[in-house]
Amino acid sequence: MKSTVIIACLSLLMYVGLASAEETKAGFVKSVSGQAFIGRKQISIPAKAGDKLFENDIIITGSDGNIGVTFQDNSILGIGPNTQVNISKFAFDPANKNFAFFAQIKKGTLVYLAGLIAKLENKSVRFETPTAVCGIRGTHLAIKVEAGDE
Amino acid sequence: MIIKKNIHIVRALQIAMLFALLLNTGCAPVTRVVLLPDPDGKVGIVDVSSDKGIQTLDNPWQTTEVSSKGKAPSVPRLMDEKAVRAMFKEALAAEPIPPVFSIVYFETDSSDLTTESLKILSRVLEEIGVRKSTNIIVSGHTDAVGSVEKNQELSLKRAKAVADFFVSKGVHPENIDVTYHGKGSPLIPTPDGVPEPRNRRVEITVQ
Repeated sequence: MKSTVIIACLSLLMYVGLASAEETKAGFVKSVSGQAFIGRKQISIPAKAGDKLFENDIIITGSDGNIGVTFQDNSILGIGPNTQVNISKFAFDPANKNFAFFAQIKKGTLVYLAGLIAKLENKSVRFETPTAVCGIRGTHLAIKVEAGDE
Repeated sequence: MIIKKNIHIVRALQIAMLFALLLNTGCAPVTRVVLLPDPDGKVGIVDVSSDKGIQTLDNPWQTTEVSSKGKAPSVPRLMDEKAVRAMFKEALAAEPIPPVFSIVYFETDSSDLTTESLKILSRVLEEIGVRKSTNIIVSGHTDAVGSVEKNQELSLKRAKAVADFFVSKGVHPENIDVTYHGKGSPLIPTPDGVPEPRNRRVEITVQ
């Protein structure tokens, strides 16, 4: 039941990922430990330090995995095990005053320290979970999404 | 009689728990959000909302919970710092050291650093080491004295001077990203032709 739902969610995300043609470099993998993957265009590749991340990438960690990410706007993300995060929108373009960082946390744990995007434009950083939306106004926060059957 | 009543209550509770369990399987996960202090001690704000309501966290270690999509976020309460650190142990351990931004300044019409800036540069070098940084962004700038072309060239020279310093200290050139902006991106806007020491600079971001 649970794995079916996860697969369904995953394939849906992959499909959404394909819908957007243009890719923007969002950041890079700062550190990896254990099992961690980047899902991109229906392919999942093992993540390693230095890997670039783009809009629409999905970060997935296994039961022993965690991963650190640094974004272009100097915001940082620490992701714990059994986590799935979709970088659904990332824009850091000071020349055109275009700022946005939207992420979806399907499950797991993360900590996030906001960077320049949150500082330069109000309501530009938004993290969504299956049950809640977090509007981040320049801060440090932790989010946990826990399935009830665990 | 009393015993019988208790059995009813227990039965009702069991059914309620079973329902709660069923509702929580698959796509109805619980979301917990905790506000943490920034590394510099400041505290920001996060608005947590669901279809049914909104709560604002503005104190460190404050938390709210959304147990299902049809529920409002719970009234914020303080969580024990130790419990937060335990709950997010791996995520906190994976969190990179925050990037650091520095500015170094130059003498007029030159790619020679000011004496004070030489000290800043050695500090930046330490920050690169601490972060084992593979992403160092170096961008050169000038003030508004002189032609666009001359300043483009000068800003590149300044950025290169900084990059060369890092390379001479063992930083891999591939880890440095050099950009230059001439007089096009002043820190302190001035009319054209006006000298401004604070614009004769190189900005360095160590990620």
